[in-house]
Amino acid sequence: MQTELNTETIKQIKQRKWKRWNIHLFPIPALVIYGLFIVYPLLAALSYSFFDWKGIKRGAFIGFDNYKDLFTLEPFSSMFWKAFSHNVLYFVVQMVVQNGLAFLLAFIIYQKIRGAEFFKIAYFLPRLLSVIVVGFLWKLIFNPNFGALNVLLGKFGLESLQEAWLGNPKTALMAIILVNCWFGLGFSVLIFLAGFQSIPKELIEAARLDGANGLKMLTKILLPLMVPSIMIITVLTFIQSFEAFELVYAMQGSQGEPYRSTDTLAVYFYRLAFGGSSGDSTAIGLGSALAVVLFIFISTFTAILLKMMKKKEIEM
Amino acid sequence: MKKARKIWLFGLFSFLLIFASACSKDTGSSEKPEKTDEGTKEKVTLSIGSWRTEDTAGYAKVIEAFNKQYPDIKVEFKPSKNTEYNTILNTALQSGEGPDIFHLRPYAPGIALADAGYIEPLDGLEGLDAFPETALAASKGSDGKQYGVPLNMSTTQMFYNKKIFSGLGLEVPKTWDEFIALNEKIKKEGIIPIALGTKEGWLLSAAHGIIGPAHYGGNDFVEKITNGETDFKSAEFVNSIKAMDELKAYFPDNYEGLGMEDIRTLFFTGKAAMFPMGSWEIEVLRKMNPDLELGFFPMPSAVGKDATITAWADGSFAVNANSKHKEEAKKFLQFLTTKEFGELFTKEFKMISANPEVKSDDELVNSLSEAVTKISTPYMMVVYFAGGNPTSKATLELELQGMYLGQQTPEGVAGKVQENAETWFKPFQ
Repeated sequence: MQTELNTETIKQIKQRKWKRWNIHLFPIPALVIYGLFIVYPLLAALSYSFFDWKGIKRGAFIGFDNYKDLFTLEPFSSMFWKAFSHNVLYFVVQMVVQNGLAFLLAFIIYQKIRGAEFFKIAYFLPRLLSVIVVGFLWKLIFNPNFGALNVLLGKFGLESLQEAWLGNPKTALMAIILVNCWFGLGFSVLIFLAGFQSIPKELIEAARLDGANGLKMLTKILLPLMVPSIMIITVLTFIQSFEAFELVYAMQGSQGEPYRSTDTLAVYFYRLAFGGSSGDSTAIGLGSALAVVLFIFISTFTAILLKMMKKKEIEM
Repeated sequence: MKKARKIWLFGLFSFLLIFASACSKDTGSSEKPEKTDEGTKEKVTLSIGSWRTEDTAGYAKVIEAFNKQYPDIKVEFKPSKNTEYNTILNTALQSGEGPDIFHLRPYAPGIALADAGYIEPLDGLEGLDAFPETALAASKGSDGKQYGVPLNMSTTQMFYNKKIFSGLGLEVPKTWDEFIALNEKIKKEGIIPIALGTKEGWLLSAAHGIIGPAHYGGNDFVEKITNGETDFKSAEFVNSIKAMDELKAYFPDNYEGLGMEDIRTLFFTGKAAMFPMGSWEIEVLRKMNPDLELGFFPMPSAVGKDATITAWADGSFAVNANSKHKEEAKKFLQFLTTKEFGELFTKEFKMISANPEVKSDDELVNSLSEAVTKISTPYMMVVYFAGGNPTSKATLELELQGMYLGQQTPEGVAGKVQENAETWFKPFQ
C-alpha cells in the first residue's frame, strides 16, 4: 500500500514536471521561423560586413574596414548622413502631423460625435491598401502634367502653385512623408482611441464634478493618462521611420531620386547591397555594414524609449 | 524564475538553430562538386539559363534548327524571371552548378563573372570573326579572352514623328545648327520638341549617349579617353554636357517630374515631335499607337564629324566553366554565330542581330542595323565606364539630374564623373 501510493505520487510528480516542460515545446515552431528568417540573416549580415567583396565573390577578412568606409569614404559617408537626416525628418513630421492629428481625431471620436464609427473606418481605410498600390496611386496624383493635384490647382486658378511635386528636390521628400502620414493615420487613431477608452469612467466623472471643462479635462486629466499610448506610438513611429523603404521605393525607385533628395537609410542599403536600378555594382560588404549599423541604432533607441516608457508608467 | 528560464531556452534554441544552419550550409557546398560524372554517353542534355522568359517559343525554333545538325544533343531552354535572374545564376555558379549555357549580361557585370572564373573562354571558336569588335567587347574578359557569343545590338537614337515633321515641312537635320533651328520651329508651333524627363536618372545617361558624341566628336574621343590621353574634364566632354543643358529649353513643361512612362506617352500621342530613346522601344511604341509614323535620324555632329547612332551589344551566350558537357555546349555556341541563327533571331525576337550580315524584314530595324555598321559609336558610359561603386555611369546620371535641377554646373558634372572614374579606371591612375 505504502509503496503503491509512492509510485502513484511519483507518477503524478513526473506528469506535472512533464506538463511544465512541454509548455516549452510550443514556441519551437515560432523559434525555428524566427531563427531562420530573423536571427540567421542578421548574423549572416554581421559576418558579411567583415569581408571584402569582389562582386559576388567573398574576398579577404578586413575587420572593421567596411564600417570605416561607410563613415569616412566619399561618396558613401555623405550619402549616409544625407539619408540619415531624411529619416530624422521622416520621424519628426510623422510625430507632429500624423500622430498629432491622430490624437485630436481620436479625442473627437471618443467624445461620441455623430458618425464616429464612420470616421473610424474612413481613417483606417488607406491602411488596407498595399503600400505599392498607395505609392502608385499618389504617384499618379502628383504627376505634374496629368496628375489630379495640379489639375485641381489649375481649376482653382492657382497655376502658380503647380509643381513637379516628385521631381523637385524641395517637395519630393515632404510629399512622400505626407503620403506616409495619410497611410499611417488610421493606425495611430486606433491606438489612441483604445487608450482613451481604457481610462476609467470614475476618474473622468470625478474630474467633471470638480469642474474640469473640455480643454482642462484634456490637458490635465486625459493627456497624462494617455502617456502609455503616446509612448507606444512613439516607439512604433520611430522604428517605422528609420526603416522607411517601401513607399520611397514605390514612388521614386532605388536611386533616391531626384538628386538623392528622397534617399533613406533603407533605400541606400538596398542600393548598396543589391545594386541600384541603374545597373550599379553591388557592395555586399558595405551594405551589410550599413544593415548592422541600422540594426544597432534602431534597437538601442527602441530600448531607451521602452525604458523611459516603463519609468513613466510607474510614476503614474 | 520562470521568465529567466524562458529567456535562457530562447537563447539556446536560437543558438542551436544558427549553428545547425551554418554547419549544413558549409557541408552542402563542399560535397556537391565531388559528385562523379554519370557515364551516359548516348544523348547529352544541355540546359540554357536566360532572363528572357518571353522568348521561350522562339528558342524552341532555334533548338529545332540546331537539332537538324546535331540530333544527338538535346537542348532545354530554362529561363527565370528577369529581375531574379542574376541572383539565381550567381548563387548557382557559386555552388559549382548552374546551366551549361547561360545568357550573359553585357560589359562589367558579365565580365566580373568571367574574371571570377565561372565562364569557359571561347578560344578559337569558329564564326566569332563574323562579329564586329564593338559587339565582341561586351563579353571580353579582362584577360583579353572572348567569353561570350554576342546576340543582339541595342541602339539609341533620336526617334521622330514623321507626320509632325511633314506637317511642318521639316527635314531631318544634317548639322547641329539645323537640329537647334528645327527645335525652335517645332516649339513655335506649340508642339513639344523633345520628349525627355529628368526624374529617372537612366534616361539622362541614355540621352547623353545620343547627344554627347555630337559634341565630343564620336569614336576619336572614345579612343582617346579609354587610352587615358584625355579625360572627362576636357573641353570636348564639358561641351557635351553643356549641350544637354541647352536642350532643356525644348523639353516638356515640368520635365523634372517626368519619368519614362510620361515621356513615352507624350511621344506616341503626338504631343511631342522627337524622342531620344533605344531600339527596344520600337515594338512598344507601335503597340501603343499602331498609326504612329515612326522614323529615326542619326545625331548630326556639332564639330564637323559624321552623324552617329549609338550602339552596344546587349547580351551574349556563355559556357559554364563547371559544365560537364563543354564540348557540346561549344557546338551550340558555334551554331549561334551562324547567319542561319541570326536570321531566325531577328525574325523571332524583332531585334538587331549582332551579326552585321543578317537582314531584318522590318524596314526600320533594317535601316537601323545598316546605320550601326556604318556610323556607330559606342554607348561610352555603358561600354567603358560601368565600373566603380557607384559606377561612373550612375555618377553621370546623378549629376546631370542635379544640373537640370539647377544645383550643379556642366563643369561640375564633368568634374564629378572624372573624380569617380579616377577611383577605378586604370588609364586614369
